[in-house]
Amino acid sequence: MMNNGFVLLKTLLLSTSLWNIFRHSKDKKKRRRVVGNAIGSFVVYVMLVGLCIAMGIGFGRLGLIQAVPTMCALVISLMAFVFTLFKTNGYLFGFKEYDMLMSLPLESRTVAGCKFLYMYVRSLPWYLSLSLAMLISYGVHARPGAAVYPLWLVLSLLLPVIPMLGAAFVGFLIARVSAGHRKNNVLQTVLMMVFVIFCFSLRFIIEGVFRDDRIPEVLQKAFQLGDSAGRYYLPVSWFTAAVTKLSLSDMLLLAGVSILLFGVVFAIVGRSYRRINSALKSHAAARSFRMSAQRQRGAVSAIAYKEFKRMTGSTQYMVNCGVGHILAVLVGLIALVIGPDKIIHTVMQEAPINAAMLRPAIPFIAYFLVGMLATTACSPSLEGKNYWILQSLPIEKRTVFQGKMLFNLALSVPFMTLSILFMCIASKAAALDTALYVLLGLALCGFSTAWGCVCGIRHMRLDWENDIEVIKQGAAVTIYMLPNMVVAIGLMVVSVILGMRVDARLTTLGFTLIALLLAALCYRWVMKLASKR
Amino acid sequence: MSEKQILEIRHYSKAYSEDKKAVDDVSLSVMSGDIYGFIGHNGAGKSTTIRAVVGVLDFTDGEIFIDGHSVRKEPMACKRVTAYIPDNPDLYENLTGIQYLNFVADIFGISAAQREQSIKKYADLFEITGDLGDLISAYSHGMKQKLAIISALIHDPRLLVLDEPFVGLDPKATFTLKEIMRDMCSRGTAIFFSTHVLDVAEKLCNKVAIIKHGRIIASGTMEELTEGHSLEETFLEADNDE
Repeated sequence: MMNNGFVLLKTLLLSTSLWNIFRHSKDKKKRRRVVGNAIGSFVVYVMLVGLCIAMGIGFGRLGLIQAVPTMCALVISLMAFVFTLFKTNGYLFGFKEYDMLMSLPLESRTVAGCKFLYMYVRSLPWYLSLSLAMLISYGVHARPGAAVYPLWLVLSLLLPVIPMLGAAFVGFLIARVSAGHRKNNVLQTVLMMVFVIFCFSLRFIIEGVFRDDRIPEVLQKAFQLGDSAGRYYLPVSWFTAAVTKLSLSDMLLLAGVSILLFGVVFAIVGRSYRRINSALKSHAAARSFRMSAQRQRGAVSAIAYKEFKRMTGSTQYMVNCGVGHILAVLVGLIALVIGPDKIIHTVMQEAPINAAMLRPAIPFIAYFLVGMLATTACSPSLEGKNYWILQSLPIEKRTVFQGKMLFNLALSVPFMTLSILFMCIASKAAALDTALYVLLGLALCGFSTAWGCVCGIRHMRLDWENDIEVIKQGAAVTIYMLPNMVVAIGLMVVSVILGMRVDARLTTLGFTLIALLLAALCYRWVMKLASKR
Repeated sequence: MSEKQILEIRHYSKAYSEDKKAVDDVSLSVMSGDIYGFIGHNGAGKSTTIRAVVGVLDFTDGEIFIDGHSVRKEPMACKRVTAYIPDNPDLYENLTGIQYLNFVADIFGISAAQREQSIKKYADLFEITGDLGDLISAYSHGMKQKLAIISALIHDPRLLVLDEPFVGLDPKATFTLKEIMRDMCSRGTAIFFSTHVLDVAEKLCNKVAIIKHGRIIASGTMEELTEGHSLEETFLEADNDE
């Protein structure tokens, strides 16, 4: 008999494999979409490898090539921790085939462990792309011995394991704490949000520490900084020592601790796995409803309200789409409490920038966070098997998407407005400037809503196994999010530069008009796409 | 054939909160060769009980034994001899039917020859042999239900637990499933299933339990329970008395 864990892992991978769908599907449209997804992933993969090689070459030119192994280990560990934290809840708990799997003769820890390994195998190519690119640049500049190449690659397979286990364990603890409560979903979302925000703030604290020196000096000291990071997070120093000194003890430590920790974490998770899932998947019926006056809503509002309930019903949805909104208001509040100059000093250090110069960028700073992930990018796909409900309703498809857009606006507009207002008050912006920034923020909300919807409809995917597949990894979300974040950062820089040379109010007004125009164009596009659905 | 107790539920309770019990002090036993019907209103506690029996749902009080093994303490020993068909099976949509059946067969450690024989037998009976190479996402609800039934039968379980098994099945498949249940029962398998279709329960089951608001309000052999009346009349009478 094949090992049951291996059989389950193989099946989990096969059940989401594009190749399996392509091979067995008779639906030409589905096969075309599979090919499109594969090409899209490959392009992103090549871009990532290219970017990492360029980074490695940059390190080489600065004479810091010895820091590359440490940087590689640090970046992979950080990415693995953060990405797993966002996904772990959906993969380990409350997944839809739970009943089917748990009724089979599989140990709870085997099911949980396989779900974790599935997550690991699926994300491994991305971490390996990073590692491979850094290895190439390290090979070109440092010219290490032949043994380093296979060793680097093999140890790269182990690098994400410990941070992923850490994130999975945090997710488990949160699920365990929430499982005992009546509103477990809300509690789980709040705890996850708090932890994510804590991690983000930790990142800024670390960055602040790193920026105690000026940037070139920091780069010069990258090696020492890496060393100090390795002192706090040992797997980084184990990896570095293993590939630079060919230290056998460090190799064994990295491998041994990864395997041991996996065993320990899933022995603990397995013990309360059924209890947690029982609590998360079963809900008591209060049976205390009394018919009272009901409220009539228009079709668009009814769809928007349905979206609201869908979002509050899913921890993954709330955390992934809500974290940017919460962060936007938090940034505004922090600026209000400690003052923008202190923030600028912490982040920019000696850079010749002050609060007044940064003012034109306020709407884009808020947009970077609020517009990080529009609900409209994933909500069409999130309909999943329930899409028939909307399809069978006597309403135009455009009404459905208008409802989805209305919900995103209802969510993003208050957060955007608050964030901009806090930042404007903190930076002592004039009333007219504040009004213009809020106006630009609202136009940007309109754009992100409509553009998200375009991506959501064009790359709609209903046959997912786990909603995290469309919230976190869906083509629609990737296509919306990546360019949007890059453009937002670019606009921050452009707005500051233009603000110094041209009348800042005129620039803001110009940006507002462009955003409104783009929002209108995207809205028309949505209506056109809706008519074809 | 000598009767052996296959499923025993002793004072099983499931509470979602301190003041709310979904199932309260349920006790029953299913012997080998029994076809035991579990009937009740929507939300009465049928699925909650069934999910606890198959080891999916954690429970508060009581004990459940399958073939002498405790579901709580020896879940693996229980699951090896049990098969479960949920009311709305969530299968891996992007696997083909045969890939899914092979997955289940691998988990139960069924040999290649034995699985080939079982899959062919049941797929022919349910007339889905030709569809086994297609992705499950292309199946209708009834076809998915048939696939779930086949996956439950391929390891020849000692206890078959079904939650509303006839929902979504066409008349021929319903007939086939009933025949399979009778055949398994004659070979000593114990069958425990929930249903709303009282006519089917009356014709198929030798024992019945009626559950209301989480408590068993009547149970026993079909003859004891109905006393010459129809099961529908008995059910309504028991329901009104409570």
